[in-house]
Amino acid sequence: MDSDVILVIVIATALAFDFTNGFHDTANVVATSISTGAARPQVAIGFAALLNFVGAFISISVAATVAKDVVDAEVITPTIVFAGLIGAIAWNLITWWFGLPSSSSHALIGGVVGSAVAAVGFDAVIAEGVIGKVLIPAVVAPVLAFLVAGIAIGISYRVVGKQRPGIVTRGYRYGQIVSGGLLALAHGTNDAQKTMGIITLALIANGTLGADADPPFWVIASAATAIALGTYSGGWRIIKTTGTRIIKMDAAQGFSAQGAGAAVILASTHFGFPLSTTHVINGGVMGSGAAKRLSAVRWGVAGNIFVAWLLTLPAAAAIGGLTYGFTRIFGTGALGPILVTLMALSLIAAAFVRRAARGAPVEAAGA
Amino acid sequence: MIATIVHTDELLQTILASVVAGIGVTSAFSVAIWGAGQFVELSRSDRPVAAGAAALVGVLALASVAGALIVGIIVMTNN
Repeated sequence: MDSDVILVIVIATALAFDFTNGFHDTANVVATSISTGAARPQVAIGFAALLNFVGAFISISVAATVAKDVVDAEVITPTIVFAGLIGAIAWNLITWWFGLPSSSSHALIGGVVGSAVAAVGFDAVIAEGVIGKVLIPAVVAPVLAFLVAGIAIGISYRVVGKQRPGIVTRGYRYGQIVSGGLLALAHGTNDAQKTMGIITLALIANGTLGADADPPFWVIASAATAIALGTYSGGWRIIKTTGTRIIKMDAAQGFSAQGAGAAVILASTHFGFPLSTTHVINGGVMGSGAAKRLSAVRWGVAGNIFVAWLLTLPAAAAIGGLTYGFTRIFGTGALGPILVTLMALSLIAAAFVRRAARGAPVEAAGA
Repeated sequence: MIATIVHTDELLQTILASVVAGIGVTSAFSVAIWGAGQFVELSRSDRPVAAGAAALVGVLALASVAGALIVGIIVMTNN
C-alpha cells in the first residue's frame, strides 16, 4: 500500500517536473524567433507547445537511457526517484527565479544520481551510462551546435550577402517558422522522454513493470501533455536572457542557430543521448553570433549561464541526496514523501505569491 | 574500455548527422533565398531567361530542404 502511494506521488512529481521543464526550458526554443521578429510571443509559444506535444511521441530512445543506463533499477526504490525529482525541481525553480537558463536534464540526472548515492552508495550509479551517454554528450553537443551554427551562418552570409536586405530578412523569417518548429519538436522529443524514463524507472522499481519494459502509452501521453502545458504557461524571464542578452540576432542568425540546435538534438535523440536542450540552443545562439563578430556575444552573460551549467549536476545531486535523507527520518513509508511534497508545494506557492505581489516578472523580449 | 564508455560510433554518427543536416539545410535554404532575390532583380532588369534560371535554382534548393526534413523525420520515427 505504502509503495503504491509513493508511486503515485512519484508520477505526480515527475509530471510536475515535466511541467517545470517546459516552463523553464522551452522558452529558449522560441526566444530566437521572438527576438528576430519572426513570430509574436504568444504565437511562438503556442506553436512550440503544440510541437513539444507531438515531439514527445516520435522516439523512446532517451527514455530507455534514463530508465536503464543511469542508475541500477534493481536497487532503486520509488522514494529514491522521488527525492531525485525534488532535487531537480528545486534547482529548476532556483535558476528560474534568477533568470538563468540552466539544464533541466542535468538537474534531473543529478538529482536522481544524488539521491541514489545517498540511499545505496556509488554502486547504484551506472558510471558507464552516466559518463558515456550523459556527460560526454553534454560537453560535445553545445560545442557541436556552436560550430555548426557558426559555419552555417558564415556560408549563409556569403550566399546572400549581395542580395537586398528586405528579401533576405523576410526569407529567413519565414524559414524560422520551420526551424523554430523543428527545434520545438526536437525539444519535445528529448526532454519529455526524460520524464517518461523517470516514470518508467519508478514503475520498474515498484515492480509494476519488468526490468526491460518500455514506457507504456499512458506515460508517453501524460509526459507529452505536461511538457506542452508547461511550455504554454511561461518562461518570459528566460526568453529575455537567451533571446536578447546573449547576442542581438538577425533573422539569418536565428535560422542558423535554430537549425543547428534542431539538428544536434534530433541526431542525439536518435542515439538515446539525454541532452540539455538549453545547452545546445545556447551553443547555437552563441555560434551564430560569434561567427559574425566575436564581440557581438555578450560573454559576461554567457559566462553566468556557463557557471549555472557547471553547478547544476552537483547542486541538484546535493538537494536530491538531502531530500532522500530527510524522507528517511520518517522511515521507509509514504509519510516522508508526503511531507516533502507538502513542503515543496508550500514553498512554490509562497514563491509565486511573492512574485505576483511584485507584479509581472519580466516583459517578453519581443513585447 | 574507453571506447565502450564513450560510445564512439554513436557519437561520431551524431556529429556527422548534425554537421550535414545543420550546415546543409541552412546553406540550401540560403541558396533558395538567393534564387528568390536574383529572380526579383533579374526580372526587374528585363532578363527573363536568367530570372527563370535563378528561380529554378531557388526552387530546387527549397525542394532539397523539404526533402532533408522529410528524411530526417522518417529516420527519427523509424527508430
